[in-house]
Amino acid sequence: MRSAVAILLTFGALFSYSVGVDPNNFKTCEQSSFCKRSRKVQSSGSKYALVEGSLNTYSDSLTAELVNKENNHKFSLKLEALVGSSFRLQIDEKEPLRPRYRVEHALKGQPELGRIRERSEMNGELTVIAGNTKAVLFADPFRIDFYEGDVLAVSVNAKNWMYFEHLRQKTSAPAEAPEGGEQPAAEAQQDDEPGTWEENFKSHHDAKPNGPEAVALDFSFPAAEVLFGIPEHADSFILKSTSGTDPYRLYNLDVFEYVVDSKMALYGSVPVLYGHGPQRTAGVYWQNAAETWVDISSSETNVVSSLVNFVSGSRKSTPPAAHFMSESGIIDAFILLGPKPMDAFKQYSALTGTHELPQLFALAYHQCRWNYNDEKDVTSVSAKFDEYNMPMDTMWLDIEYTDNKKYFTWDSFKFPEPLTMIKNLTELGRHLVIIIDPHIKRDSGYFFHNDCTERGYYVKTRDGNDYEGWCWPGAARYPDFFNPVVRDYYGSQYLLSNFKTVTSDVMIWNDMNEPSVFNGPEVTAPKDLVHFGNWEHRDVHNLYAHMHLMGTFDGLLKRDPNQRPFILTRGHFAGSQRFAAIWTGDNMADWTHMQHSIKMCLSEAVAGFSFCGADIGGFFGNPDSELIERWYQTGAFLPFFRAHAHIDTKRREPWLFPERTRLIIKNALVKRYSYLPLWYTAFYELEREGAPVIRPLLAHYPQDKDAYSIDNSLLVQDRLLVRPVMQQGVNKVDVYFPVKDDKKTGDYWYDVDTYQRHDRVGHESVPVDEYKIPVFQRGGSIVPKKERLRRAATLMLHDPYTLIVCLDREGKASGTLFVDDEKSYAYRSGSFIYVKYDFANNQLTNSFIGKPNYKSEAWIERIVIAGLGRLPSGATITVNGVTQQLEVSQRDQAVVVRKPGVKMDVDFALKLNY
Amino acid sequence: MRAETQLTALVLLTYASAVLIGHGSASSGNVPRPRGVSLTKTALYQPQADSSWTCLDGSKKIPFVQINDNYCDCVDGSDEPGTPACSNGQFHCNNLGHKPLEIPSSRVDDGICDCCDGSDEENSRCINTCIELGAAEALKLKSQAELHKRGAEKRQEMITRGRQLKSDRQARRAELDRRIKEQEALKAEKEELKRNAEALETEAVEAFKEQQRELDADTAQAEEEPLQMRQEASLSFVRYDTNKDGFVEVTELMVDMNLDRDRNGVVEVEEAKYFLDERDRVDLDAFVTLAWPRIKPLKMLAEGLFKPPQIPEAHHDENLPATEDVSTQDPLPSEDAEIEPASEDERADDEEIEDDHYDDEEPDVGVGEATPETTTPPNYDPETQRLIEQANAARIAFDEVERQIREIEHEIKEIDEQTNKDYGAHEEWAVLDGECYNFEDREYVYNLCPFDRAAQKPRNGGSETTLGRWDQWIGEGNNKYTKQKYAHGAACWNGPQRSAIIHISCALEPRITAVSEPNRCEYYYEFETPAACDSEAFAANAENLHDEL
Repeated sequence: MRSAVAILLTFGALFSYSVGVDPNNFKTCEQSSFCKRSRKVQSSGSKYALVEGSLNTYSDSLTAELVNKENNHKFSLKLEALVGSSFRLQIDEKEPLRPRYRVEHALKGQPELGRIRERSEMNGELTVIAGNTKAVLFADPFRIDFYEGDVLAVSVNAKNWMYFEHLRQKTSAPAEAPEGGEQPAAEAQQDDEPGTWEENFKSHHDAKPNGPEAVALDFSFPAAEVLFGIPEHADSFILKSTSGTDPYRLYNLDVFEYVVDSKMALYGSVPVLYGHGPQRTAGVYWQNAAETWVDISSSETNVVSSLVNFVSGSRKSTPPAAHFMSESGIIDAFILLGPKPMDAFKQYSALTGTHELPQLFALAYHQCRWNYNDEKDVTSVSAKFDEYNMPMDTMWLDIEYTDNKKYFTWDSFKFPEPLTMIKNLTELGRHLVIIIDPHIKRDSGYFFHNDCTERGYYVKTRDGNDYEGWCWPGAARYPDFFNPVVRDYYGSQYLLSNFKTVTSDVMIWNDMNEPSVFNGPEVTAPKDLVHFGNWEHRDVHNLYAHMHLMGTFDGLLKRDPNQRPFILTRGHFAGSQRFAAIWTGDNMADWTHMQHSIKMCLSEAVAGFSFCGADIGGFFGNPDSELIERWYQTGAFLPFFRAHAHIDTKRREPWLFPERTRLIIKNALVKRYSYLPLWYTAFYELEREGAPVIRPLLAHYPQDKDAYSIDNSLLVQDRLLVRPVMQQGVNKVDVYFPVKDDKKTGDYWYDVDTYQRHDRVGHESVPVDEYKIPVFQRGGSIVPKKERLRRAATLMLHDPYTLIVCLDREGKASGTLFVDDEKSYAYRSGSFIYVKYDFANNQLTNSFIGKPNYKSEAWIERIVIAGLGRLPSGATITVNGVTQQLEVSQRDQAVVVRKPGVKMDVDFALKLNY
Repeated sequence: MRAETQLTALVLLTYASAVLIGHGSASSGNVPRPRGVSLTKTALYQPQADSSWTCLDGSKKIPFVQINDNYCDCVDGSDEPGTPACSNGQFHCNNLGHKPLEIPSSRVDDGICDCCDGSDEENSRCINTCIELGAAEALKLKSQAELHKRGAEKRQEMITRGRQLKSDRQARRAELDRRIKEQEALKAEKEELKRNAEALETEAVEAFKEQQRELDADTAQAEEEPLQMRQEASLSFVRYDTNKDGFVEVTELMVDMNLDRDRNGVVEVEEAKYFLDERDRVDLDAFVTLAWPRIKPLKMLAEGLFKPPQIPEAHHDENLPATEDVSTQDPLPSEDAEIEPASEDERADDEEIEDDHYDDEEPDVGVGEATPETTTPPNYDPETQRLIEQANAARIAFDEVERQIREIEHEIKEIDEQTNKDYGAHEEWAVLDGECYNFEDREYVYNLCPFDRAAQKPRNGGSETTLGRWDQWIGEGNNKYTKQKYAHGAACWNGPQRSAIIHISCALEPRITAVSEPNRCEYYYEFETPAACDSEAFAANAENLHDEL
């Protein structure tokens, strides 16, 4: 959320809205000693080799020993083939002084192992084949090349930037040569470098009792032209070269007033990166929860290399590459071999899971503010939405609802009767979300604190004391969610038998879980804290939020096993998408931050976090009418759709702006609600197939090089192309319609407001007025909608559907729809309707995927068909051999079939007549 | 046949809602009309001879059976008054026994009872609560009417007093206008007297000064010569620099008893440092520019060359063009007042020797104490003295008149401010000006002084914060006198200036009933007063409501 006040108090610094983050409060690579050391290898290279004769192959994996030829330290390597064109490479010390941390809980389960079909050895190269992929291992220098088909997609350690600091004893006299010469002078020298055995940043000291323990490895993508992924950064979708800048940093941090176009770390860390080119997409998931920096070498062509290419006809230049550098742990890398973008995304989803199908309300509009002051405020804001007939599903309460920032309590003065207030909302079909942060107020009158203290549930300092930092409540302590007992205890607090002042319709917002510590180093916890299992905070930092979420999710499931939990989190790691939606944190009320909401959510979506959004209006600062209008329009086409604002900002509920603005906002809300069936189906398909809900253009137009860097547009599945207006004072926007194949043809795109067809590719200037959200439906797709307005999405359950059929060049279209109770887990036991609609030869038919096994009162009220050559005279619908006539009329540039009236689980055929 | 059953189901679904026509007749018990149509609009929902019907906006002709068939045909939503099919439609609840209500179509058949007669929910589990609600509403209206009636009596008193205040104000204003005219006349008279007396005084003083000037002429000239200054300073530097190291140190100054400003017989380090611009030592340049200007006056004093200045002719010509000013200032006889003009003159001296540190740092102490015996006024001859005293008396008389005028003007301003405040159509709010009311919540004591300011003070001590000063009435339309705004309060940290909105309602006793801060730094008061009890307006409102019932 916001550490504004506290940081001010802590550092006494002076901020103003325009200034933004002070980068000096956060480390550079140079100030993070392991990054500095790991990066140094980029100039010298390293010398790792497979140990001859150490190789063992099994049906699904192989093992080998690896040696650092500079110090003879030995490592064990394991390469596993995984089902679905992926490999897993793990490298650890052969005999580490102590066990090194291996990430837990990020994967959704044990990855399913694939079979190694064949192995052959030739000229010191060992080849193993698994399905359509193969890995070729080179002994000295150590390297592994991964192929998909015959194309080299990923090359590991091609640059020899592998770097693995083995655990060692601290030598009191570094000059003294150790026995057996195991520690050469260079290493002794390195041990002596400042930052190796202890490290200081600002006024903070890091004891570093384990000394240096970094791991680093480079991955080249020979078939790729661009790299993307590794959220969370407020930067372009395509990763920029880090030559001459700091690497991208992955370290969950509460950054006050973050700036855009920056490689600085933010609240979440998802170490998955993709390389993409016209023929191949591949990915690497670097499973490490310690502070991580990633250097990016892009495939920029320079004069010399272009000349060489011209002469040799070979590949243009050195391929783009990524150098992952982590402070501790082991090398645990998953190689995802695509070959198409969607394949790679699904391979990553197969490992770390997806958000499950949310309750429908969670996809609708959320109204938040720090803070709705009291019960009356909540009730009257809800009533205002009704007064203006604007749909709204969820009211949110930020930290001020609590009794002095003690979570699981209420301020009894401002919120004397929370259950009544909640009932007032839920009776209207609305929900409430309240914030529960991980920091626990040190207060001897607080049961949670007392329990945690007595039972030793808090994260400990090196000396074994309960660690104490400053956060919203003042002095606060941090539960050690890595301990399953603590998670259970914490989760049980959500049970209605414990938290009696809420109902099971109240959902949860977990904020500040990086963790945010106002007086800690870089506003987070010191690295030398100690967690369950005796692991240092250093090893697990990026997982803290994840473990917090596991506790919350489990608690909510136990609270009501038949309601799908909704949780919003700020901190996140790979796999956190299984538990929570995310938002892009404390953004600012300016146009560039709005633009970055799409860039950031696209990066998150391909990294598993489809359920992503940004604070509409901007958290800090006061948006003017135009900015908030455009921001609602943009937010309406991101999966998580919430308005939120800082406590110091002016109130900005839609009716506080001029009427025109209110109407524009209402228009955007209504549009969002009309597309809820599409969003809902998309989330079902995310859970079912691992396919991101929102996608960059390259996901479906991989050959269009001009589309790679487009990050002002997004696709909703492969059905909508959304290009919101994100500049001030414009009356037209430049829309890019991507190229589908090498013949320079593209799809048809239909303006969803007018059904005007765009059939050219490339940039096109599209006029916009203040109401216009440039959204286009792909020719060839069918989109389910609900066009009736309700005050909340939950009240639309029985409302009829409209199908929008947009025809491709062959006059065909298809699309799916998922229908269930929108709330429970009954769909997991088959209680749903999953239907595919196909239009061809002037006929629309449906077919069910699985047995339609849910009794819906909904029906099809209207079918809109765009792209027909001429207006049909009428339509006939046939159900079980019985035919009935339907009226057909023109709507803008489409044809509307009036009231087919069929229920959702009935087979039908609808034919247009001429 | 099974297929037929399916089709029947389909047809039923398609046309089921046609049955809805006439639904209204069951509940309203009068004219049959489509569901959701008000009695007054019944005539608009009649089929044409060909069983067709035209959308109310005229945009489209549809079969009459398509009214309320749960499909939106008309752009204006008029064909579906009783279903949720049109997003822009309206549904009319009859609510017999209570107020009728228009609700958006979005609330029809959504499972929530919006109409008290439950007519918005077709498969209604809604209980008809109109009779109870209507009765309760009537009771509430009645008690409010009673409250307004009784409040209106008090309001009448307030109106009377307000009008009295207004006429008092007007009378007083007229009185002040008259008095200020008198005083202006008097002022002219006194001014003339003063001018004459001062002319005589000036003449006498000039003559007296002429003699003095001759005595001081040489010294004055010398002081005006900067080059000479530098020579003097350099000479002194050499004299002070006893160890000849090119610096004058503190210790080297401490031997010069002329610099013993506090006259305690010792030149302390601090005293000496003062002359060196608080440094331990200075070189020649610094000595010339910084030290010498401080030392020189004391040297001159010691040598009797420096006469602290009652005699202003040095700047009489150069600096001060207005003769009157000089003559009113200079000869002030009172001993207490001396220090000010003295230092004033010294500043003039300082300017001459181009030093701006002197006076800034030690405005009075050093020189003031060193000069008491020399700052007494010159010993004027008796005749001059008499003229000065006469002039003083004339000045005092004149000042007194001016003071009177200022006071009157101040009062006029206050009255005009009040006159410009809007105390309502009948002056009913006037009596609140000057009153103050308090409200305590958990943390703060809130304060409202109508037509003046709103403020807030922490209960546990701490200083008061102004939330706003009287700005204007901001009620909308006919309700102008229901909301006040107080603006330009203390600025918030990182935020705007505070402001407060006062929402006012009728009650028998004036009091604040609630204060909140809905917006950061924007406060909201609920304030009650009989001034808001307008029983006629209330009755008119109630009459409208009654008509609808």
